[in-house]
Amino acid sequence: MNQILEPGRRVRTESSGMVCEVEGFLGGGGQGEVYRAKAGGQNLALKWYFPASATSEQRSALETLIRMGSPSQRFLWPLELVSASSIKGYGYIMPLREARYKSIVDMMKRRIEPGFRALATAGLELSHSYLQLHAKGLCYRDISFGNVFFDPDSGEVLICDNDNVAVDGQSVSGVYGTPRFMAPEIVTGETVPNTQTDLFSLAVLLFYIFMMHHPLEGKKELAIKCLDLPAMRKLYGTEPVFIFDPVDTSNAPDPVQHKNALLFWGIYPEFLRELFIKAFTEGIRDPQHGRVRESNWRAAMARLRDSIIYCGNCKAENFYDADAMTVSRQAASCWSCRQNLRLPPRLRIGRNLVMLNHDTQLFPHHVDDEKRYDFSQPVATIAQHPTDPNIWGLKNLSSNNWSSTNRKGEVSDVWPGRSVTLAVGTRINFGQVEGEIGF
Amino acid sequence: MSKRPGGELATRPLHFIWMADCSGSMAVDGKIQSLNTAIKEAIPNMQSVADENPNAQVLVRAIKFSSGAQWHVSQPTDIADFRWEDLSADGVTDMGKALMMVAEQLRIPPMTDRALPPVLVLISDGQPTDDYASGLQALMAEPWGRKAVRISIAIGEDADTEVLQRFIGNPELKPLQANNPEALVKYIKWVSTAVLKSASAPASQTTDSAQAGMNVPIPILPDSEPSSADDVW
Repeated sequence: MNQILEPGRRVRTESSGMVCEVEGFLGGGGQGEVYRAKAGGQNLALKWYFPASATSEQRSALETLIRMGSPSQRFLWPLELVSASSIKGYGYIMPLREARYKSIVDMMKRRIEPGFRALATAGLELSHSYLQLHAKGLCYRDISFGNVFFDPDSGEVLICDNDNVAVDGQSVSGVYGTPRFMAPEIVTGETVPNTQTDLFSLAVLLFYIFMMHHPLEGKKELAIKCLDLPAMRKLYGTEPVFIFDPVDTSNAPDPVQHKNALLFWGIYPEFLRELFIKAFTEGIRDPQHGRVRESNWRAAMARLRDSIIYCGNCKAENFYDADAMTVSRQAASCWSCRQNLRLPPRLRIGRNLVMLNHDTQLFPHHVDDEKRYDFSQPVATIAQHPTDPNIWGLKNLSSNNWSSTNRKGEVSDVWPGRSVTLAVGTRINFGQVEGEIGF
Repeated sequence: MSKRPGGELATRPLHFIWMADCSGSMAVDGKIQSLNTAIKEAIPNMQSVADENPNAQVLVRAIKFSSGAQWHVSQPTDIADFRWEDLSADGVTDMGKALMMVAEQLRIPPMTDRALPPVLVLISDGQPTDDYASGLQALMAEPWGRKAVRISIAIGEDADTEVLQRFIGNPELKPLQANNPEALVKYIKWVSTAVLKSASAPASQTTDSAQAGMNVPIPILPDSEPSSADDVW
């Protein structure tokens, strides 16, 4: 009911002149409606603007975005403008979201239950994608729950609602962002969305994803009776205090109302906690220079994934925290069953440490400094010896020869398809870099 | 075994209360039937708004007033479980009584001390026949009454828009004038989706959101069709 375009309606793409047929209604938002459509034999999504939003500014913004092209395949980017002679206004077509991608809201309501590896992958892809967008001189302006989707099994992400994207610093009108995600300086009206405020919103989104809670909702939120605009302005704008601020504890989490934050915070390694502390202390005090950049998040997310270990008792994913272990010298316990965690072997490559679980894979990211963040094809995987299952090895999946040196100094070739036994002190030369196995 | 600890994102309750005029005049020209239809149409929309909102627990109630007032749905009901039983029309317009009863429910307790701004939707087609001013005063004496987003819908030309305007209490926001069933459906849909959304987790804020003097950003109503006294019920 009340839809602008009915199924079967044909509109035309403006530059290629393709006929685009509306198949069904997908959803409505503040600016317009989105439909499933077909053009040139391809399934697509079509957004049509409400008359009030079909402005000439929006049209020219879309033209710019279409001309500049998508930063990557992770964006459901506008492909072409569409219009029709019989209907006022215009719309655009974009790729259709596959059903395996779920909304962050589904995760917040626990209708989907991703594991930690998928979350770390989602965090990695998000920070990588926004970096690519910012690197093009664009800013997103409305990073929030509603416009990010992810595959709860793999962690792959899709970023939608890209029609609010604009060249950084060049837009005076349009969106301010979504409450709870807007940077304090936008809430107080000091600035309009820009790349720096995107960084704040990204940090909020990551905190939500990892902690299932908002970073500024602590005791101060508990004291608010009616959470309306003036209250939100105070909490997220004029008096923002991080719930885990190590110095200012005035907004510490409440053990009952803010339980999720307290449960999750201790599970993650120190380096991730430190990054969140920076994002919501320095990042609030100094929007220009204090924020955590996408590249910092990206590095932390890759490291987080390499830190995953499984509980030998209940199989739950846990994190190996090298920093904490050095201090306490005690074996950590599993968050789920409280049993002591038994550590698997680990591979040190330069400054990176990769925990070697039964399912660990290495990628060009790990073994070639020129190919950082290339996770396209694994170059190595953990494998069990075919006749003696007690022996585990690292199998060479690459097309290059490795060489390994055991503790006695004996050197062997590890040809593609062959494995090197996981033994303490064994060094593996991957070509560009060398790693050493430890326990 | 759960892959991660903890529970859902913490929510706050959002109380949404329909306040429906069921006086005898609502029986004329199928007005009460239109209202029943409009609210039934709105429920799935409200459910999907609530479904997409991780920050709020939407709880709905309804009160009817004619000769006296009575809770039609007395328990705050999760929108997912909310069912609408048709209202029927008969009697006078004791709006004051309904305002008084809503005020009692917005007192702490039974209201919790932490919530999102409640949404009160007052729908009427005529003049109050009791002391509506005392009822309104009682409502505005409650902090939750003052904090509530108050929206009113005037059905037809005989509604007392001045009273409905006083209920809103903000000159920036006018009573919605529904002179035909289509307009009523549209306004009911708007309050149950756009306004509900704004009160629970304001959506993307734009430079043209109307916000003057409001504690909840009230979204702009989509283009209205022209309404005139000629519209037939």
